[in-house]
Parts: sequence; C-alpha cells; structure tokens
Amino acid sequence: MAEQIIIAIGREFGSGGHAIGEKIAKDLGIEFVDRKMLDEIAEEKNIQVEYLEKLDEKPRKLLMSRRVGAYSNSLEEIVADMQFDYIREKADKGTSFVIVGRCAETVLRGRKELISIFILGDEECKKNRIKERYNLNEADAAAKMARHDKKRKRYHNRHSDFKWGDSRGYDLCVNSSRLGVEKTAEMLEMYIKERM
Amino acid sequence: MTLAQILALAIFVIMFVMIVLDKIERQYVTLGCGLLTLVLVFGAAMRSMSAIIETLNLRSIFTVGFWYAGAAGEESSSGINWATIIFIAGMMIMVEGMAKAGFFRWLCMRLAKLVHYKPIPLFVAFMIMSSILAMFIDSITVILFLAAVTVELAKLLKFDPIPMILSEIFCANLGGSATMCGDPPNIIIGTSLGYSFSDFLTNTGAMAGISLVIVIIYFFLVYRKELLQEEAEAVDPSTVPDPKDAITNKTEFAVSCVIFGCAVVMLVTHAQTGLTVAFIGGVIAIVTLAAFHKYALELLKKVDYKTLLFFVGLFVVVGGLEQTGILELIAGFIGKVSGGNLKLMIAIIIWISAIASAFVDNIPFAATMIPVIKSLAATQGVDLSTLAWALSMGTDIGGSATPIGASANVVGTSVAAKNGYMIGWGKYCKSAAPATIIVVGVSMLFIFARYC
Repeated sequence: MAEQIIIAIGREFGSGGHAIGEKIAKDLGIEFVDRKMLDEIAEEKNIQVEYLEKLDEKPRKLLMSRRVGAYSNSLEEIVADMQFDYIREKADKGTSFVIVGRCAETVLRGRKELISIFILGDEECKKNRIKERYNLNEADAAAKMARHDKKRKRYHNRHSDFKWGDSRGYDLCVNSSRLGVEKTAEMLEMYIKERM
Repeated sequence: MTLAQILALAIFVIMFVMIVLDKIERQYVTLGCGLLTLVLVFGAAMRSMSAIIETLNLRSIFTVGFWYAGAAGEESSSGINWATIIFIAGMMIMVEGMAKAGFFRWLCMRLAKLVHYKPIPLFVAFMIMSSILAMFIDSITVILFLAAVTVELAKLLKFDPIPMILSEIFCANLGGSATMCGDPPNIIIGTSLGYSFSDFLTNTGAMAGISLVIVIIYFFLVYRKELLQEEAEAVDPSTVPDPKDAITNKTEFAVSCVIFGCAVVMLVTHAQTGLTVAFIGGVIAIVTLAAFHKYALELLKKVDYKTLLFFVGLFVVVGGLEQTGILELIAGFIGKVSGGNLKLMIAIIIWISAIASAFVDNIPFAATMIPVIKSLAATQGVDLSTLAWALSMGTDIGGSATPIGASANVVGTSVAAKNGYMIGWGKYCKSAAPATIIVVGVSMLFIFARYC
C-alpha cells in the first residue's frame, strides 16, 4: 500500500468490532494490531505477557491510585501509557494498520491518515453473540457484557477528552446488528477506500 | 453547629473526596473550594471581611518579620502560609538548576562507583543517600533521580532494582521527616508554629536517625536472600558510565554545588541569623536564576506552579475550618477522649496522622491538624512542640505505608513500572507497611521517653 492508513476501531462488547477490524485488515492487506502489541511490549520491557494481559484496557482502581504530575502508581495506567507509546511509534514508522480499542483514536488524533470508527450493536444481537462465543446463558452473557462495557467506558473516558461512543469523537459510528459482521466490514472498507 | 461551620466542613470534605477521585487536577479542586470558602463561608454565612483578609494573609508578606524573624519569628497559622509557598518555589528553582547541571545523576553514579557497584553496599549506600538528600531537597526529586539511576544500574549489572527502589522511597520519606525543609508538612508546621531547622533536627531528626538504622537492618533482612544471591552473581561493572559523564557543564555544576551548600548553611543557621525560610527560598531562587541566567526562563517554566496553586487553595479551605471554629471542636474531642493524658494524646495524634497519611495526601492533613494541636495545647495545658513532633512523624512516616501515601512513593513506583519493574500494592505494602509501623512505634516511644 503506497499511502499510510490507520484504522482505529472502538467497540461495544459483543458488537463484533474485533472481527470487523480483523476482516478489514485482511481485506486491505494491512497489519492487525492486537495481542501482538502486548507480546512486543512484554518482550521489550521484560515483563510476563500474562501480567500485562491482566492490566490491558482496564481502568485504574479509583481509590488505590494517585497521580503526581506525569507519574501514576496505577499499573493499569502505566500499561495504557506503554500501549499509547507503542501505537504512536508504530504510526510514526509509517506502517498501515488496524487497531481495536486502546483509545487509539484519541492517541492518534490529528493525523490525516487516521480513520476512527465506533462499532455498536443492539442489546439482543450482542447478547446472542456473547452467549455463543463464550457458551454462556442469557443472564451471564448480559452480566459479562455490562461488566466489560463499563470497564471500556471508564478506561476510554479516563484517557480521552470525549466520551466513549460519542459520535462526535469518531469519523463513523455503525450499528453492526443491521448488516452483520461481514457486510458491515465491507461497507466500512468502501468508506476507507474513498478516504485513501 | 452554625451554618458557616457546616459549609466550611462540607467544602473541606468535597475537596478531599475530589482530590482522591482525581477527576479534576488537584490545584483546580483546592482553588475552586478555596473560592467557595471565601464566598460562601466568609461572605454569605459569616459576613466577615476580616476573616477573608486574615485568610488571604497578603499583608504578612509586607512585614519585616516575614523575611527577617530576629529572635522570635512566629507566624500566624491562619490562612495562606506564604512562607511555605515562597520557600518551596525557591527550592524548586534551585533543584532545577542542580538537575540541569547534572548534580543528582553525578552524585548517584559517584556513590555507586565508590562502593564498587556491589549490590549490598549499593543497597545500603543508596538508602543513606536517599535519607540525607531528602533532608534538604523534596523527596520527589530525590526519588526521581535515585530510581532512574537504580534502574539503569540494575539493567547494566543485572540485579532486581525493586528492593532498592522500595527502600530508597522509604528512606526519602524518613529523611524528609528529619528537618524542617524535608517534607511539606514539616515546612508548614515549622512556619506556622515558629520552629527552627535545629528544633526539627534535634527532635524529629533524632527520631529519624534512630529509625534509619533500624530501617536499614529491616530492609536488609527482608531482602537478604535476593541481595546475597546478587552479591554472589556480581557482574563486571566496566559497562557502567563514568560519573563524570553526568556533568553537563563543569562551571554550572560547580555553581550549583555552591548554591546548594549555601542553602544548606542558611537553613541550618536560620535560627541564629534570623533569616526566615521565606527569605532563604527567595534568595536561593534569585541567586540560581542569576547564576543560570541563560536558562532563567527555562528554569522558571519548570517550576511546579500546579503544586504551589494547590497549596494556596488548600490553605484557604483550611482557613475556613479554622475561622469557623470547627478545628477547635476536633481538638476538644481529642482532649476529651484522652482525658488530658499527654501520652494518650500523642498516641492518638501520631497514629491517626500515620493512618490517614497512608491513604490521603498528608499535606492537607497536616495543614488541618496544626490549628487542632495548637488549640489542644492551649486548652489542655500540654507542650505544643511535643504534639508538633508527633504530628510531624505521623504524617511524614505514615505516608510510606502504601503506594499512594506520599508523592515519592508514586514517583518511585511509576519510574520502576515504566521500565518494566511492576510494583503493585501487594509488593509495595509487604515491605513498607511493617517498616512504617515499626518507625511510627519507635517514634512514639521516643516521644514518650523524652517528653512525657
């Protein structure tokens, strides 16, 4: 690909945002930044990747964290900063990639090569997807969805100056329940190609 | 309770909660709450212009006593403590100048070289250096440089820096408790109650000195396995950079050493010379800016104005509590509970201060407690200085117990984690919390033995 393109996808839990991102990356032939990011950070900093996974995209523990200037004792925030640095460095290298979550739309805001997307979904659709994927009953799926969305929202709102899922913060907001994962991804690819 | 008291207390509680929640930067929280105190408590409820003037305390700056105390230099504890703010600002400028010249990095590297980069002597030497530096320089700067050098040495010499960083943090807080200028609560206590550098050194300094010996032994015993193993596997130190490389400019380095030396001499002798800490802070700021005139603007920009504004707002909110008499109620309560028993009073002050400081910022706590102990001393007929030393040790040491208790803890653990050495609550508290309990206990017994 001649010109750099970065697609940052924010998503509700169960909306299929991850799968959409993966398909877009595959179809456009660009890198999909996912778990690999944690692997690389873990290797560079000599930390166990399982340890980083526990802190990945998690909000700080409110009463157990404190900030002094640019320093915070919250490991969740420190891991978030490591990921933000990783995203910035990757973007600076001129690589094209798709990234899901991690406030990438905020971290890279202002770059002309950035396309920011938020994927949402209908409650029922998201619940069904979660039930199927994690083999859960209705109540457990609903609880898991609420728990994850709450964490993502807190994480995002801590690191961003606009609210999670607020349409004014993204180039596009799409309900994936209307067309399904495949067709939503294809529709988004059309938009991306127009922007390239 | 009167309306003014209820409002003052509500504003204070809101301020504390908002500082803990950390949604809005803390200086905006204290300044906003300070403004509310002026308008609602002093204006609407008390309708007292004199309370506003007294709390803003601007007139004090223009008095001779503010700059030159002569023999007796007690400053009013009410309202904004401008002496503390000017002194801290001056020290910030001096420290920035020293850092720019490479002083701290040089000192850390020089000391490491002096002990031949051996893990156990390095461990002990850095603890002692952390304490001594923190006696004169704010603990954030001390830890910022010590932790960074520790991580650098750990990577080159292949040892685990976490035990060293945790012990350095503890010692920075301990060293800060030894002097009037070591920790913000001490500066506030000293300037508010009129104590000198030597008053602190001979009282809290003695407690800190004894505690340092105990703490070095304690941390060595806690980490002896790791240290002995590292000592056995010592790596060739030839890759470590030469301390001289840290010096960015020899002349500036020499000048910064002289300024620091003068600041120490002025602080140690200020009771004899009559120079107040406000004067010393002002002078060292001016001298540093003159000596580093090329970078004067840069140094001024690096001053942590946010912290200074945080202090301004905080003093106004605490002034609200003081003017409305709330703090006298608290003092009355402590007096009642202790039944006039000095030992019990000391135990309450030192342990409550320590426990509170372990979880909330110790600066607002100390600022709030000063009028309380003042009132307690007046009503119960006990020696104010004894209560002041208990408050000082409680707030300074208590902050060591948890990763959020003091600024140095946050900075130290953050520097370590950014380099891949993750320090969570469990790892931190496992060694620091027992050390805190030991030192607070030792200090309490010292106060009992010496003053009761």
